[in-house]
Amino acid sequence: MGNTSIVVSLKAPDPAAITAMSTFRRIYPETCPDSLERYDYWCFMNPRRGRETVNGIVSRYHDIVNPNKQTWTFIDDINKLAGSDDSMLWIGVLVTDIIDSVSENWTAIFRRNCCEVEGVLCSVLWRFGFAPGIAFDTARNRVLDLTVSTYRDHGLLANPVSQKIDLSVLSLI
Amino acid sequence: MKSVPMVAVIQFPGSNCEYETKRAIKNSGMDSFIYRWNQWQELRDGQPDAYILPGGFSFQDRVRAGAVAAKERIMDLVFSEAADGKPLLGICNGAQILVESGLVPGWERGRIESALAANHINGRSGYLSRWVFLNVASKAQRISPWLGKTGNGVIPLPIAHAEGRFVFSEENRGRALNSAALTYCDEEGIESSDYPINPNGSFLNLAAIMNDRGNVLAMMPHPERAFWLWQLPPFLPGEWGDRIDQSFRSGSYAVTKGPGSLFFTSLADYFRGER
Repeated sequence: MGNTSIVVSLKAPDPAAITAMSTFRRIYPETCPDSLERYDYWCFMNPRRGRETVNGIVSRYHDIVNPNKQTWTFIDDINKLAGSDDSMLWIGVLVTDIIDSVSENWTAIFRRNCCEVEGVLCSVLWRFGFAPGIAFDTARNRVLDLTVSTYRDHGLLANPVSQKIDLSVLSLI
Repeated sequence: MKSVPMVAVIQFPGSNCEYETKRAIKNSGMDSFIYRWNQWQELRDGQPDAYILPGGFSFQDRVRAGAVAAKERIMDLVFSEAADGKPLLGICNGAQILVESGLVPGWERGRIESALAANHINGRSGYLSRWVFLNVASKAQRISPWLGKTGNGVIPLPIAHAEGRFVFSEENRGRALNSAALTYCDEEGIESSDYPINPNGSFLNLAAIMNDRGNVLAMMPHPERAFWLWQLPPFLPGEWGDRIDQSFRSGSYAVTKGPGSLFFTSLADYFRGER
C-alpha cells in the first residue's frame, strides 16, 4: 500500500488563481509566470484497495468533489485535465497548513465510517506554467520567490510561519 | 492635526464592516472617511490622523486571508504612516492584512513574523461566530492609543472568522508575549486554552497583538459590533451583563455605550491628550 493523491479543480476558471496571477503581474512584472493553476490536493494515506478505494470515497462525499462544479483526477493524470498546455514548463508547489483542522476532521470522518484509509492530508497545489525557453532551475527559483511570503513585498502564496511548501510533487507531474 | 481628529477607514473589495466602523468613530467624537483601496492619492491628500482596516473578506480571502490586500499600493502609504507612529487598527480581516503586511508584531520592518492561521478546534473546522471575553494586557493598555480607556474589567466582544489563530515561528514564540494586547478568557477573566474560552486555538490565547510602540493593533474581535449596549446578547454573564440590567431599569438601554466603544473612546482621548 502507498498514498494515493487526487487533484480537484473548478470547471469554471479558478478565481483564486486569477487573483493571484493578477497580483503577480502587478508586483512582479518581470518574473511572473505565463500561467497559474490552482487545485485542491487530497493525499489519501494507504487506501486499502488503492485507486478503487479513493474512487469510492470521491463518489460518496460530495464535499470533496462536487460534480456539479468541480472535476478531478489522480495526480499523475493531471496533464490530461482541460487547459493544460504540453508545450509549457510546469512546476507544481504544494502549500499545506502545518496544523490543519480540515485534514484532522476528514481523517476522523473516514475512520468513523470505515472508509479503508488511514487518513487524509489536504493541501493546495499551485501549478506555475512558463513559456518554452526558460531553464528549469531559473523557473524553479522564480516559483520559490513567488510562493514563499517572507516580507510584505516578497512572495504571496504561502506564509511560512503557518504553512509548509513542498516541491517534491514535481516528480509526480 | 485637525481640530477634530480624522480617522481613515480603508475599504478593500470584500470589506463589509466599513460603515459600522465609520459610525463608531463618529459616535466617539471624531471624524471619519471611507477610502477605497484605489484612492491612495486621496488618502494621502486627506492626511488622516489614524487608520482603521475594517473587517470583511478582502479579495474574497482568495489565496489566504489578507494576503492580497497586503500587497495593494494603498498599503505602502498605511505602512509608512504606521512606521511614523500614527495609530493603526486592524479589525478581523484588517488584522489579517496587518499580519500579512508585517506590521505586527513588526520586530523587523516589513518582515512577516506571525500568521493568522485557520481555526484549530477539535471536531470542527471553518468559520466560527460567537461572543468571547477578553483581558487587556497591562503593557498594551499603557502604550497603545487604542486601549488606554479599556479599564480593568473583562470585555465581551463578538468574533466571526475562519482564520483567527495567532501563530508564531518556533524561534519567535518567546517574544510573542511582549506583543500581547488582548487575550481570550472566561467571564471571570480566567484564561484557558480550552474551547470555547479560546475559540480558535490561538497561541497564548491571543486575540490581538500589537507592535512594540503599541500604535499598530491587530485584533480579531469586532469592537464596532458591540459599540452600543443593545448590540450585546441578552443574559450575558459578567459585568457588562449587569450593566444591561441596570440600563434597562434606568431606561437608558438604547443610548448606553457598550464595551466596543472603549477602543474608539481610547483613541479620541489619546488625541485629546488625556492619557
